[in-house]
Amino acid sequence: MKAILLLVALLSPILGGIVYGIERKLKARMQNRMGPPLLQPFYDFFKLADKRALQIHSFHSLMGIAFFVAAWFAVFALLVGPNILVAVFLHVLALLFFTAGGFSVKSPYSVMGALRELAHILAAEPILVFAVIALYLTTGSWDIEGILSSGKVPLFEMPLLFAALVLTIPIVLKRSPFDISEAHQEIIGGAEIEYSGIFYEAVYTAKWLEYIFIGTLIFLFGGSNYLIGFLLVALTFLLVWLIDNSTTRLTVHHMMKFAWGVLLPLAAFNVFWIAIWR
Amino acid sequence: MTAFEIGVAILFPWIFALAIYLVNRHWFSVLLTVLNFFVLTAIGLHLWFSLHGALMFQPPHFVDWLILVYDYGLLLYFLKQGLDRKNPLVSVLALIQLLLLTWVVLIKPPSEVPNLYVDRLTVFMYLIVGFVGSMITVFATRYMLEEDPKREGEFVALLVWFLGVMNFIVSVNNIEWFFALFETTTLASYLLIRFRGDKISVNNALLALWMNQIGGITILLALLFAIHKYGITHFTQFSDHASLALFPLAFLGAAALVKGAQMPFHRWLLGAMVAPTPVSAILHSATMVKVAPYLILRLSPYIHGTLLAKLLIVFTGFVFVVTALLALNETHFKRILAYSTISLLALMMLAGAVGTPLAVTVSLMLIAFHAVAKALLFLEAGVLEKVYHAKTIYDIKHIINKAPFTVFFILVGFLSMTMVPFAMFVAKWLLISEMSELLSRASYTITVAILAIGGAILTVLYLKILGLTINRDEESFRVKLERLPLLFAAPNTLYVILILLATLFVNPLLVKLFGPVTGAVIGEVPPFCGQGLDVCIGNLKLPFWEILIAFFFVVFFPVIANYIHFKVDRTAEYTCGEPLRVRISTYNMVCLGKASPYFETIALALFLLVLIVGGGML
Amino acid sequence: MFGFLKRFRKKSPWILHYNTGSCNGCDIEILACLGPKYDLERFGIVNKGNPKQADILLVTGPVTKRARARLLRLYMQMPEPKVVVAVGACACTGGVFRYMYNVENGVDRYIPVDVYVPGCAARPENIIEGVKKAIEIWERKKKERIELPKLVEGVEGEPLDRRTLIRQLEEKFCKRLPGEEEE
Ligand code: SF4
Repeated sequence: MKAILLLVALLSPILGGIVYGIERKLKARMQNRMGPPLLQPFYDFFKLADKRALQIHSFHSLMGIAFFVAAWFAVFALLVGPNILVAVFLHVLALLFFTAGGFSVKSPYSVMGALRELAHILAAEPILVFAVIALYLTTGSWDIEGILSSGKVPLFEMPLLFAALVLTIPIVLKRSPFDISEAHQEIIGGAEIEYSGIFYEAVYTAKWLEYIFIGTLIFLFGGSNYLIGFLLVALTFLLVWLIDNSTTRLTVHHMMKFAWGVLLPLAAFNVFWIAIWR
Repeated sequence: MTAFEIGVAILFPWIFALAIYLVNRHWFSVLLTVLNFFVLTAIGLHLWFSLHGALMFQPPHFVDWLILVYDYGLLLYFLKQGLDRKNPLVSVLALIQLLLLTWVVLIKPPSEVPNLYVDRLTVFMYLIVGFVGSMITVFATRYMLEEDPKREGEFVALLVWFLGVMNFIVSVNNIEWFFALFETTTLASYLLIRFRGDKISVNNALLALWMNQIGGITILLALLFAIHKYGITHFTQFSDHASLALFPLAFLGAAALVKGAQMPFHRWLLGAMVAPTPVSAILHSATMVKVAPYLILRLSPYIHGTLLAKLLIVFTGFVFVVTALLALNETHFKRILAYSTISLLALMMLAGAVGTPLAVTVSLMLIAFHAVAKALLFLEAGVLEKVYHAKTIYDIKHIINKAPFTVFFILVGFLSMTMVPFAMFVAKWLLISEMSELLSRASYTITVAILAIGGAILTVLYLKILGLTINRDEESFRVKLERLPLLFAAPNTLYVILILLATLFVNPLLVKLFGPVTGAVIGEVPPFCGQGLDVCIGNLKLPFWEILIAFFFVVFFPVIANYIHFKVDRTAEYTCGEPLRVRISTYNMVCLGKASPYFETIALALFLLVLIVGGGML
Repeated sequence: MFGFLKRFRKKSPWILHYNTGSCNGCDIEILACLGPKYDLERFGIVNKGNPKQADILLVTGPVTKRARARLLRLYMQMPEPKVVVAVGACACTGGVFRYMYNVENGVDRYIPVDVYVPGCAARPENIIEGVKKAIEIWERKKKERIELPKLVEGVEGEPLDRRTLIRQLEEKFCKRLPGEEEE
C-alpha cells in the first residue's frame, strides 16, 4: 500500500495532467465538439518549455515555481504523510505562494485575481477541514493508510458532508460557476496572468496537482472499499465538469453566501449529527 | 532560597523603574533595561530549573496591610481622576469598588493560607514577561528618542514597572491581593494610554479605566460571595469546592474576559493604540491582556466540564470568529493587530476553558508564541511609524522596495500566527485534532466549526496585508537592505530568531516546557510520544521532515527569492495594451463593518449568559 | 533536446486575438472557428487572451491611430517564437478603410506579418488555413531571435529589457489625450 501511495505521489503531476486531458476532451464532447487529444496538456507542457521566457521580476517568477513545488509537497504529505489535516494546511501554504506571486506585481488583473483567490481560500478551507474531521470521525484515523484499511465507508455516514465537498470542488479547482479568481473572460486568469514561458509552466502544472489532491480526498470517502472510491472520484469529476459546462460565473458574494450559508451548515450538520447519534 | 529569587523577580523591576525615572538619561535607561532583561530572564530560567512542584510562600504580615492601604489609595485616585475629568462612569465605578472593598475587609476571615503561590505556570509567565516584555522596554528607549526625549525616563519607567506588576500578579494566591494588582495593571494602562496627553489619548485612557474597573468589581463580587458562602479567600482553596463555587468562578472569569478585551469590552484595547507604540506592544504581548488567559488557566481545573466552561467556550468562540471578521474591514495597521489579538486571546481562553491536557498545552503555546509574534509585529509597527511614517496598510504598499528586512520580519510575524510549520500553527492543529477527538465522544461539538472558520479568516487577513507589502515593480537587486538603529533592530531580530528556533524545535519545547506547565495547571500531561524532533502526541503525528520542508518554503524561500535573478527578458505588466499606470489597493469588506453593532449586541447577551447561567444564578 | 521539444509546437498553438478597429466581421469569423462547427481546439488551439502565454497573434482591422500603440505593446509582450496572422482585407491593406484619416492602412506597417488571410470577411476555412501556414512558419522560428516591431529605430535600451522598450514606445507612439494624465 505504502509503495503504491508513494508512486502516486511521485507521479501526481503526470496523473493530474491525464485527468486534465480527460476533462478537456469530455467537456468538448459535452459541447458537441471533437476536443483536443487526450495528451494535449503534455503537448502544451513541452511547447511551453520551448518558449522564450519573459518575466516581470524574478521574485514573481520564483513564487510561481514555489507554488508548484509546494503544491506537490502538499499532495505528497497527503498521500505519504501521517496526518491528512496537516496536508490540507500545506495546500493553503501552496496557495500562499500563488497569491504572493499575484500580489507581487503591479498588474491590476494579477492583484485582483490574488484578492479573489483569498476569497476562495475563505470559502473552501473550512469545508476541507470539515471533510478531514469527518473522515477521522468515521474511521478513527488521521493517516491515509488507516482510513483505507479501516473497514468502513465514510460516505454512508457522511452523505451530506460529501455533497458539500463535491460542491466545494468548483471553488477549489476554479471551475464555473465559481471560477471567480481565474475568470478568463474577465480578468484573464487572475493571478496567473503575468507568468509566461517556463514560469507559466510551473503554475499550469501546479493546477493539475490540485486534481490529485481533491481526487484523493474524494477517494477517501470510499474508505476501504476501493471500488466505491473509484466510482466516487469518476462520478464526482463528471458532475463537476457538467456543472462547469452548464453554468455561468457568479460573483464573490454569491460564492461566499453559498459556501458559508449552504455548504458549511450542511457539512456541520452532518458531522454534528453523526457525533451525537453515536 | 527560592523565595529570595521570587522576590527579585517581582521587586527588581520596581526598583529599576524608580531608578530610571529619577535619573532620566538615555544611556542610563538603555543600561538598566538591558540589565533588567538579563536579570528577569536569568531568574526565570533559574527558577524553572530549580523549582520542583509548587511553592507556597507567606510574605511578612505587614505586606497585607500595605496592600490594603495601597488599594484604598488606588481607588481614591481613580475616584479623583473621574471627578477631575468629569467622567461620572469612572467615579461611580470607583465608589462601588470602595464600598465593596470595605465590605470585603469587614467580613474577611483570618486565613493562614500563604499569599504567594509559585508553580510552573507562574515561572512560565515570568519567562514570557522577562524575555518578551523586557525586550520591548529596550526598544522603547530608542523609540522615545524619536518621540519625546525629555519624558523618556518617565515612559520607560512606567513600562518596566508594568513588568514588575505583571510578575507580581502571576504569583499571588490571595484574591484580595489579586484584585489590588489587577487594578494596578489598570492604573498602569491608564497612565500609559494617556501618556501623550492630547484629548483623544485622555478619552481613550478613561475608556480603558472604566471598562477595566468593571473587571475589578466582578472580582470583588466573586470574593464577597466566595467568603460568604464558602469561606474562600485564596485561589488554591477552590480545589476544596471545585465545580460548586460556580458563582465566584463565573465572576472571576468575567474579570478575565474584561481584561482580555473580549467583545463588548473590546474598545479599550482598540483605543490603546493612540499611545506610543511600545505601549501597544507591551499591552498586547507580555502583560495586561495575558492576565486573561492566565486567570482562565488558573481556574480551568475547577470549571472543567461545568456549564460555565461550556458557556465560556461558546462566548470566546463567538468572539474569536467575529473579531477576526471585523479585522478584515480595518485599514489601520495597529487596529488590525489589535483585532487579531482579541481574536487570538479568545482562542487561548477557549482552549483553557476546554481544560483537557492537550487543550491546556495548546493554550500555553498560544500564550507564549502569541506574545512573541505580537511583540514583534508591534515593534515593527513602531519602526514603520517612526522610520517610514506608515500607519495604514495603504502606506505600507510597495514598502519592500525600501525595507526588505522589515517586510521579512512582518512576514515571519504574520505567518507565524497561522502558517504551517510555525509553533502557533502546531497549537491550532493540535486544538482542532483534540476537538475532533472530543467530538467523536459527542462533546464540544460546535468548537470544531469555530476553529475551522476562524482559522481560515485569520489566514486570509494576514495574507491580505502581506500582499500589499510585497507589491513592487522593480527587480530586487536594485534594493538595498535598510539600516536601522541598533536598538530598533536588535529586539526584533531576537524575536524572529526565537520564533524560527521554536518552529524547528517544537517537539522538545512541547515535552520539556509546555508539558510540565500543563502538569502544573491540571495535574495531567498529554501523551507525548515524539522522538527527537518529530511531534507525536497520541495518534497525532507531525514528522520533522514535514516541518523542515514547510519551514524551508515559508522562511527561506521568500529570502532566497530576493537573491536569485533569472537572466531572462523583462517585460511590462499586462494592461490590455493600455498605457496605464495603476495604483494597487485592496478590498476592505466594508459590509462587515456594518455588522459590528449586531456582533456587539450578541456578544453582550452571551457575556450576560456566562455570568448569569454560568454563575448558577438561574 | 530542443529538436524534441519543437515537435510539440504544432500541437499546441495558443492564440491572442486583437481587434485594431475592425468592423467585427472578421472577429465573428474567428470566434466561429473556435466554436463547435470548426472546433479549432481539436488541434490544441486555445484562445488565451493573454499575450504572455500566446504564440500566434491574430490581428483584424486596419489599425486605427488609437489602436497602434496597443498593438505594438501587445506584440512586444509576446514571447518568442511568435507569428502574426493578419486576418481580413483590413488587416492586410486597410481594406475599405484604406486612406481614411484615422487609420494606418494595415498591420504590416508596424509589425512584421507572417501570413496574410484575405477576404472581407475572411472565411473560417481561410482562417484555419492561415493558422496552419502560420504554424509551419512558426516551427522554423527560433526562440533565440528577438523579433521587434518595425519602426522602432531611435528607440534605445538593451534589447533584453523590454520594459524600457515598451516605455519608450509609449512615449513615441502614444500621445495622451487630455484627461488621461498619469497619477
Ligand atoms: S476585412 Fe471586412 S469584415 Fe473584416 S474587419 Fe475589415 S471590413 Fe470587417
